[in-house]
Amino acid sequence: MKFETGKRGLLINILSLIVFTLVWQILVILARNDIFNIPFIRLRDIPTPVETWYALVGSMFTRIYGPSFTYGIINHVYASLVRVIEGGIIAFIIGVPVGIGVGYSKFLGNLFNPIIEIIRNMPPMAWIPLSIFIFVSGGSIFIVFIGVVFPIILNTIQGVRSTDTRLIDAAKTLGASESMIVKKVVIPSALPSIMTGLRIGLGVGWMAIVAAEMVIKSPVGLGYFIWNMGDLGRYSEMVAGMIVIGVIGYIMNISILLLQRRFINWVD
Amino acid sequence: MGRLVLSSVSKKFNNFQALLDVNFEVEDGEFVCLLGPSGCGKTTVLRLVAGLVAPDDGIISLDGKKINGVNKECGFVFQEYALFPWRTVKENIEFGPQVKGMTKTECESISKHYIDLVGLSGFENHYPNELSGGMKQRVGIARAYANNPKLLLMDEPFGALDAQTRNLMQGELLRIWETEHISVLFVTHSVDEAVYLGDRVVVMSARPGKVKDIFDVKLTRPRIRTGPEANIIRDSVLKSLSTQIKLASHEYI
Amino acid sequence: MKNLMKILFLIIVAIFVAGCLESKKTPQVSEPINLVKMSGQEMIQRLGTGEIAGFIMWEPYPAIAVTKGYGKNLIFSGKIWTDHPCCVVAYDDDWYKKTNNSDEILKRMALVQLKSVEYINNAKQSDSPDHEQLINYTMQFGGMTDQVAANLSLADVEFVYNTNVTATTTFIQRIQDFGIFDMTKWNMSGYKNSSDYANSLVTNNYVEWAVNNKDENSSKIALKEPVNIRYAYLVNDIHELPFYVGWQKGYYRDLGINIVIAEGAPFQNGAFEMQQGFKGNTVDVGSLGIPPVIIHRINSNDFSNNDTKVGVIAGMNNEGSVIVVANNVTSMKDLQGKTVGFPGQGTIQHVLFLMEADKEGLKVSY
Repeated sequence: MKFETGKRGLLINILSLIVFTLVWQILVILARNDIFNIPFIRLRDIPTPVETWYALVGSMFTRIYGPSFTYGIINHVYASLVRVIEGGIIAFIIGVPVGIGVGYSKFLGNLFNPIIEIIRNMPPMAWIPLSIFIFVSGGSIFIVFIGVVFPIILNTIQGVRSTDTRLIDAAKTLGASESMIVKKVVIPSALPSIMTGLRIGLGVGWMAIVAAEMVIKSPVGLGYFIWNMGDLGRYSEMVAGMIVIGVIGYIMNISILLLQRRFINWVD
Repeated sequence: MGRLVLSSVSKKFNNFQALLDVNFEVEDGEFVCLLGPSGCGKTTVLRLVAGLVAPDDGIISLDGKKINGVNKECGFVFQEYALFPWRTVKENIEFGPQVKGMTKTECESISKHYIDLVGLSGFENHYPNELSGGMKQRVGIARAYANNPKLLLMDEPFGALDAQTRNLMQGELLRIWETEHISVLFVTHSVDEAVYLGDRVVVMSARPGKVKDIFDVKLTRPRIRTGPEANIIRDSVLKSLSTQIKLASHEYI
Repeated sequence: MKNLMKILFLIIVAIFVAGCLESKKTPQVSEPINLVKMSGQEMIQRLGTGEIAGFIMWEPYPAIAVTKGYGKNLIFSGKIWTDHPCCVVAYDDDWYKKTNNSDEILKRMALVQLKSVEYINNAKQSDSPDHEQLINYTMQFGGMTDQVAANLSLADVEFVYNTNVTATTTFIQRIQDFGIFDMTKWNMSGYKNSSDYANSLVTNNYVEWAVNNKDENSSKIALKEPVNIRYAYLVNDIHELPFYVGWQKGYYRDLGINIVIAEGAPFQNGAFEMQQGFKGNTVDVGSLGIPPVIIHRINSNDFSNNDTKVGVIAGMNNEGSVIVVANNVTSMKDLQGKTVGFPGQGTIQHVLFLMEADKEGLKVSY
């Protein structure tokens, strides 16, 4: 990702958000007044940005009505984030060694490649029905794991395989053993790829968690929230939830990019 | 210490005869330049000596010991530097001592010594991507030296530098070499460089790679690049080489 | 740009901290019961494996779970609220307005409802000659294979055809108390209070006509011109058995009404039926729980054209939901801090469960 730097870039960014919001507001208002409508879409039922904003603010924190505690968006975000991070950590712990093994050793590569190639083509969503039945709990974390682990494995393999052979030669002539080479040359050299895999994977995992929470039921989670709001016909809360999903995904992506730039500052 | 002998060394890659019956020596503390047209197997010679590839035939020995597997008594300096980009200057130089299991203080004293020797004080904590080509190659040389090798193998180390830096680096290399006197096998395709640096110049012929001539350069250092004696040697080296280049280019066309 | 990233990073950290604080806040009052949405099949399965401590659901799921020995009935919904309305028959207001003889059609729909309910109530007796046929209908409509479960689930449901404005008012009031209405929409609706809304929602005329004409010969009062009615119902919901009986026994056909199953029917739940069926104008008349009707006529309605406006013309059943719990649970209090399955927010079971929790002073989180 390349950002336009400086004030001008920021200005354009903000302007585009404002224009988008305005177009959204205008389209809904026009549809509601029967002036203009896109065929086959009930535009009039989409909440306006203003309504969405009020819904967002109103449902941010836990609300109490008589006996009922209705979880706030904050709780849902937290629950979903925790699941993504848990699934992400497990995927990282498993994906990186597998990727290194498969990428570095021709034997392991031939052994595992067919399995990886087949399983990675099953989208995380396709695992949802199965995971409902086979997991006592943590089915949604498993869905995240499936989403995160393959980008990590594939990027790790790619990172390992693209290790500069001259660096390996250099390490050999400096007296490094095979295991030293893996530890001190192959892994550091694959690190940017691994981080990219993690970033892509968490993006996939974030989308998967939202889908998984719509099916694999737990009391909290953003996917659960927007689905429930849809059940109740509370479209402005639903859209507010959708926007939160998008914003959190964006923040996650940028945070990892930031970490990557901060800690892997040796890449040209 | 540091006497390298190649006797009847041959190497084939698939059906391509890279080296055929190569014989020469590098005496202890001697600076030998290996010169030849591209594709004549100069780099293969270095890789064989370093033990990165094994010969099909013949024997390579260092100080009477046959080289078998990666030769840990050689320091290798690569054309494209091959520095570890995730390691700082200091950490790059400490790589060898580290994998040998030296303590942190030992590593640090070694790296400090060689950073000073190659003139990189103040850049200890810079990453390679922050350095110029010449500085990178200083790190490369220091890293090779830090491993305390008997023999330094240099594969066109200054090939990627501009002419000015190149001259400067040649001088620097000699300065370092004179301080820490070990044998050097230096691959180059520049006759000027070979004659300026080497005690002897080994000229190789291409397809298959063979040793064609060996010239002694008995000039005192510091040498004058355009001195008359140097010119005479250069002429004879060039003559030996030009027939080879013609031959090689013929085959390419 | 670096600063912007730092800000974004701080936001994510803030969300985490806030989330931690928020989730710690909940149990301080008293450990709430966690309601989790799931399908009836899942409830049975998860009760069996011990993943949930109980569930509240319509028949036949409670009967199946009990028959399988996974749990026991804790509270019948009649105990929570005696004779509470459950499923009803509703019509789409857009269809009503553009159909000339809609009143006549609805009168006859109410009559079918009456006849079916009377048939069922008779056949429910095990000595009735129709009993076996009713059990077959129940198993077919409920998607059951077990006769015992079919009998059990029939026993738990009280089939009715009349509507009840007072009970509807109570329902509306509780739904409002539990914060389920979108208040912006509620204010747009213009109803003064819950009884105002209930009166606008429920019409007794059709049932009155049906009662007066229930002994007339069908051929005499049948519509002159048969009409097609696009009908929607909920999947495997025994509460709507009167519809299935009326359809299978030809009561509708006899009165000149040709039932066409609406696009998308049977629906998974009332919310879908309201939002896709009635709002999308693919359903003319349908049966569903009364809470989705109450909720979506407010929340999903576009008040500029009243596209989700529906009217209730007859009942289907009262009661008929059960709180089923694992065998080691003896009271609602035992469910605190545990997970309980429910069919989703805004369903009758959701409202009933909150009412019971309210009675016992328990907290419910979802």
